[in-house]
Amino acid sequence: MIQVQGISKSFAGQPVLRELSFEVPDARITALLGANGAGKTSCLRILCGLLRAESGQVLVGGVDPALDPQGVRRQLGVVGDREGLYERLTVAEYLDIFARMQGLSGAALKSALASVSEELELQSLWQRRMGGFSQGERMKVSLARALVHQPRHLILDEPTRGLDVLAVRLLRRTLLRLRSAGTAILFSSHVMPEVAELSDRVLVMSQGRIVGRGSPDELIAETGCGNLEDSFVALAYGERAPVAEEVV
Amino acid sequence: MLGANSKRGAKENSHTMLQLQLMLPLLRKEFLEAWRDRRALIMAVSFALLFPVMIAGGSTFMIKKKAEEVTRVAVLGSAQAPVLAEKLAGPGMEVVSLDDDEPRSLLGEGYHLVLVIDDEFEQRYRDFLAPSLYLYVDSTNTSSGRAQRQLQERLASLQQLVVTQRLVARGVATQVLAPWKLEMRDVSTPSARGALLLAMVPGILILTLFVASLATSVDTSAGERERLSLETLLLQPLPAWQVITAKMLAVASLGWLGSLMSITALVLLMPLMPLAELGIQQATTLSGVVSMGLLLVPLALLVAVLQILLALRSQSFKDAQTQLSILQIAPLVLLMALDMAQVSLEGGWQLVPLVSHQQWLKDLLVGEVVSLPAVLAGSAVTLLCVAVAVLLGARALRRESLLTAA
Repeated sequence: MIQVQGISKSFAGQPVLRELSFEVPDARITALLGANGAGKTSCLRILCGLLRAESGQVLVGGVDPALDPQGVRRQLGVVGDREGLYERLTVAEYLDIFARMQGLSGAALKSALASVSEELELQSLWQRRMGGFSQGERMKVSLARALVHQPRHLILDEPTRGLDVLAVRLLRRTLLRLRSAGTAILFSSHVMPEVAELSDRVLVMSQGRIVGRGSPDELIAETGCGNLEDSFVALAYGERAPVAEEVV
Repeated sequence: MLGANSKRGAKENSHTMLQLQLMLPLLRKEFLEAWRDRRALIMAVSFALLFPVMIAGGSTFMIKKKAEEVTRVAVLGSAQAPVLAEKLAGPGMEVVSLDDDEPRSLLGEGYHLVLVIDDEFEQRYRDFLAPSLYLYVDSTNTSSGRAQRQLQERLASLQQLVVTQRLVARGVATQVLAPWKLEMRDVSTPSARGALLLAMVPGILILTLFVASLATSVDTSAGERERLSLETLLLQPLPAWQVITAKMLAVASLGWLGSLMSITALVLLMPLMPLAELGIQQATTLSGVVSMGLLLVPLALLVAVLQILLALRSQSFKDAQTQLSILQIAPLVLLMALDMAQVSLEGGWQLVPLVSHQQWLKDLLVGEVVSLPAVLAGSAVTLLCVAVAVLLGARALRRESLLTAA
């Protein structure tokens, strides 16, 4: 479980996160929904220990990333808002290197590599260098790198951006499998249908604050809107977006 | 209590071992990335080989130019003094006796000098009336000064010979005319003369360390930051100092091998270079190459980590390239400034990175022995600087602006 308690962060005196508190329970998919500049990426970076909160506390599996960033990183899998691949490495080299950095070796390493290769359908890419990969291929490799050490917590920053239908389906299938395995999953997104379909819980962020939380159905009911997109607009911008009937 | 302490010690040791083991895949990643970067490799190899080829070509050109330096003198009126014209000819001077011609036009036809012997030369010479010789020279010709000096020296020596003969014929001791005799003795050894020609080599070898590793240092720091792969790396359970160290080793490997390639190519090209004709003997041997290679290891590490540090501080990939290009000139400027200021580089200077390396390389290039204690002390200081730079680099990796600026 990831627990966030009252964290604040500012850049150059400009507040980005304000007293943010939420939880990401195990075996659940939690979506972080927010417009550009809402503070999603900063929040995720604090959870990973890349940025430090000015106040409040974060616990990832009971470990504070500010105090033990390496301890947190051992139990986290992260897919950033860009894939962070190395174009001169093959997929096999890349995954082997990152798995070893997480402490895997021997039979465990072999089995972990085989497992991600099969689950994310990487066999045909395995010996290819990553320069020139399509967006979908890059995402698959990046996800494989995040999952190869079987982390208890998974953080994804806009994972479906630029993906085709097949890649999205593969990602969806993987996340659902991980949820059943008990992984706590937190992902940020702009894509409402994706969030509505995948997430158990949604956190709506606006101007560094959580302005709404609950399941997609609960948010829709709470705002009285017809869909999650309208609910998001109502919560994030404090206005009720025009529903289809009103437009007609 | 003692048992608990030893248990804790063993645990800490095994933790350190595990941390170092986790660094191995990181090293592999950095080396694969660095050595597969075709652009960086081409840059490193080209510069490393270009420099020895330039030295080889330069020395051959110098010899060729020297061999071609024959002074051509046209003598008009040689019938008046046939022996004089004959005695002027010799090594490095070609004398052609011509009939009457226009000196100006002869100077335009490839003659460096035109010597005109007066019509009454023979008669005036016999009468001891100091006949005239007219020397025509085109001072706008770059070779005229050298040719003029050469001819005047020959004429002076001939004049001295005639004077001596005349005095001897009259029973005067020639020593009366020469209260002293000046003889030149060149005490420079072939090695030292070699040092003169090869004086610029250490500076360029050090420059090779910078140039050969430039592209990789920018790519692994500013490049990774722009591509956001640095963020992925920082998300791994590795301390920041290990990340910097792995990057430094990969970058230094390129710079160091570039310099080693330069040294090796230079030594291999030496037999093809006309060094003997320049009075230089080949002093650098295989052991000299190995020694130079070993001496450059700490400096290669320092250059690598400094370049990475600077690139991490820059705003973008392009900014990093610009800043590092300026940094490359800095050591050459420093070394040249010290050379021009004729600073005595003894004592404390032997501990200063770059300066000490330049001195050691200079000595090894001409086959001289370098002091082992001085090398050990200087290398230790350089490695200390490397350690400080690694810690600064680790701090730079923890800077939030590193990610937020990307």
